[in-house]
Amino acid sequence: MALLEVKDLAIAVAVGGQLVPVVHGVSFTVEAGKTLGIVGESGCGKSLTSLAIMGLLEGSQVRITSGSILFDGQDMLTLPAERRRAIMGADMAMIFQEPMTSLNPVYRVGEQIAESILQHRKVSKAQARERAIELLRLVRIPDPEGRVDSFPHQLSGGMRQRVMIAMALACDPKLLIADEPTTALDVTVQARILDLLKELQDETGMAIMLISHDLGVIAETCDDVAVMYWGKIIETAPADELFSTMAHPYTRGLMASIPVSDREVERLEAIPSRVPMLGEKLDGCAFHPRCGRARPICSDIDPVAIAVSPSHFARCHFPGEDQA
Amino acid sequence: MATIGLIWLCLVLFAAVAAPLIVPFDPLDIDPVNRLAEPGWPHLFGTDHYGRDTFSRSLYGARMTMFIGVGSVVFALATGGLIGMLSAYFIRLGNFLMRGIDVLMAFPALLLALVLMTLLERSVTNTIIVIGIVYATTTARILFGMTLKLKREVFIDAAICSGAGHSSILFRHILPNLISPLLVQASFIFAFAQLQAAALDFLGLGLPPEVPSWGNMLSESRIYVTRAPWLLIFPGLLIILSVFSMNMVGDAMRDSMDPRFKDDIAGV
Amino acid sequence: MLAYTFKRLLALVPTLLAASVLVFLFVHLIPGDPAAILLGDSATPEDVARLSREMGLDRPIYVQYFIWLGNALQGDFGTSVFFRTPVMEVIAGGAETSILLALLTMVWIILLGIPIGVLSATRHGTWVDQLASGGAMLFASVPTFWLGLYLILIFAVWLGWFPSSGFPSIHDEGGLLNLRYLLLPSMTLAAPNAALIIRLVRASMLDVQREDHVRTARAKGLHPARVAIKHVFRNALISVAAAFGFTFAALISEAVVTETVFSLPGVGRLVVQSILRRDYPVIQGVILVIVCLYMVINLIVDLAYAWLDPRVSLK
Repeated sequence: MALLEVKDLAIAVAVGGQLVPVVHGVSFTVEAGKTLGIVGESGCGKSLTSLAIMGLLEGSQVRITSGSILFDGQDMLTLPAERRRAIMGADMAMIFQEPMTSLNPVYRVGEQIAESILQHRKVSKAQARERAIELLRLVRIPDPEGRVDSFPHQLSGGMRQRVMIAMALACDPKLLIADEPTTALDVTVQARILDLLKELQDETGMAIMLISHDLGVIAETCDDVAVMYWGKIIETAPADELFSTMAHPYTRGLMASIPVSDREVERLEAIPSRVPMLGEKLDGCAFHPRCGRARPICSDIDPVAIAVSPSHFARCHFPGEDQA
Repeated sequence: MATIGLIWLCLVLFAAVAAPLIVPFDPLDIDPVNRLAEPGWPHLFGTDHYGRDTFSRSLYGARMTMFIGVGSVVFALATGGLIGMLSAYFIRLGNFLMRGIDVLMAFPALLLALVLMTLLERSVTNTIIVIGIVYATTTARILFGMTLKLKREVFIDAAICSGAGHSSILFRHILPNLISPLLVQASFIFAFAQLQAAALDFLGLGLPPEVPSWGNMLSESRIYVTRAPWLLIFPGLLIILSVFSMNMVGDAMRDSMDPRFKDDIAGV
Repeated sequence: MLAYTFKRLLALVPTLLAASVLVFLFVHLIPGDPAAILLGDSATPEDVARLSREMGLDRPIYVQYFIWLGNALQGDFGTSVFFRTPVMEVIAGGAETSILLALLTMVWIILLGIPIGVLSATRHGTWVDQLASGGAMLFASVPTFWLGLYLILIFAVWLGWFPSSGFPSIHDEGGLLNLRYLLLPSMTLAAPNAALIIRLVRASMLDVQREDHVRTARAKGLHPARVAIKHVFRNALISVAAAFGFTFAALISEAVVTETVFSLPGVGRLVVQSILRRDYPVIQGVILVIVCLYMVINLIVDLAYAWLDPRVSLK
């Protein structure tokens, strides 16, 4: 059984009393100890999906309209709030895009890590502090005994993201959801944070769900990849298979728009046109207005997922055609 | 809510303009026979201890409300706004002027007003000036902060580079950006000024006693509160409704305002 | 911390000096001979001439100011024209009432303002929020004296639950029970200020609620109430504290009115009565004392602000 199994998850945003669908029934699984990458442009619904899994949509304008989220065999959507909170921050933890603002500025980082430990484990404050120092050491923060009493504003962005990771690891999660964990950081720091996540995964055996708009980041870290476009998963495959044979024209477009520094490029490809507006009504394949290979059928019928290989699916009428 | 507030303020404005035409009685006419008459016909709001018609006096009171409100807003925004903008723009001058504002702000608002009223005669103009001075200080400080922020923005650099003069930058580039915060500030000053003026009237240091303002009406009839509670109900409710409406309007305007300045204006 | 406080206290000196110049000039700005003004209407020309000499009115005005300031620094603001006693004693006589009134009012403000503000923010958009924030706006729009008069009418005159005016010292017969005289005044004074605090707490909590770190706190699996108090309210307190100086100024202003309505023998009513009696030495003394107090409170607010927000460095 998979650690996390998301089935037909649909999410809508309440705008002026109306529910506008933004995620149209996505399904995927995360196996224990593995890394799933979810990639897509901003606004494709990948962040909303991760927040829905974590249970952080409550109290906002966003509603889960259908589907199920099975974590460790339990449906997170029907679980009573209290039991759900017992999982949040313990078995399932999350780190966010903005390390600069994701820590509370008025508490010391040690207190913030300890808060998570004290919430889920029956330990004394002193023990929680010891554990916080240990965690800071685990995420390779130099001088953890001193840093444990720092305030967030005294740390750099990379350090803060390490603190966020330490906080997420506080109760040995089985699943770590990382929503664009490196986007706000310098390029050199990005690589170090990704390496750290990889190493920690090897040490702890946790699964990671990595959300990114950057195929490069995904390629470096993931076992499996799901590509999202306009609230749908349009291609899923093991990472090595995806990067060798991209079946969906959107995935190929994403790849072509990555600048590659070690090779001369005549012209950086951009995907033409724009992403349809959220909640816009669209017949056929959501990508057809931007697709260079669109044919009449593409604007009429929304393609179902077609198996390219036993582990590789693409929602395209003509998967793998015109491959470069 | 803000719409209801706006409608009420329009009614007050109408009453203020049309008071002489629509009042059923002369607000100054004394009628010893009908002293402290209860609300009813023909005295809708009853009469006071001189037998004057409270309804007519209330309508005339709307006039004072508008005079005081508009007068102190204009005074406060003109003087305070200019001081604040110039101080931020010419920062050397500003350091000097803003220290002066600091000194005035060391006096709590009503206290400053009381001290100033001691020096001046009780009159409508003086009340407006005194309340205007009190709120000019806060306005100056707020506009000082906002102008400083604007000065750092690229479009001001662009204007300087294109050779615009000081007055052109101040009044054609900076001021238009401050119009909406100024309007919000104006609505809050209007509201505060009403309460301040009423308090001054009550303490016997505001408008001359013969002027039919809502504050004076409350002040005069307070010793009759047990015998004729309605004398305080009507002017009191009129003040509350007007201040409340103005606060509501200010609040709604602030919510829709440029987020850069939202935190600068302390209203209710 | 100590060095910072000392530095801030030093920074107060120029403002305070400038304020004292204004307070000093105040008597000289009133048309007429200051000696005659200080002595009041009943003074004979001989008295006026004698006081003129004593006050050194024949000397240059800046010399007069420094003499006056020197005395004021030693707590000597001269003699009250009305009471014929030292101004400092007159002010001290009103201190007990005003301080107790202020403390009692603070209790109301904190007891009402903070919980209702928190409730309003956590139930944002519901009828509870609309009632609380609308009600707060309404109370902030009520003239203090009007509210006071109706509280007297209802609770003192009609119901007879509380005394309507005056305040015997808690050292007199009755002891602490005499505080009941301050119940209605403190409620009157608290109403508009608690309203201010409610709106302030609500607005800053709503701002903090949108911040990313609150999402982090929720992701830890904390109970919503714990998130609201430890993360949202705690951070909102920073801006509430910053605005507290403003509230205190409003409190002083409204205390003047409230003490007058309830005929309380406090410093606030002393200001009004001294103005009406043209008792200038008392006016000068009281105003200067209040300005000092207000500035010290502002300093305490700034220190509290720095203490609440670790990002503010005390340098």
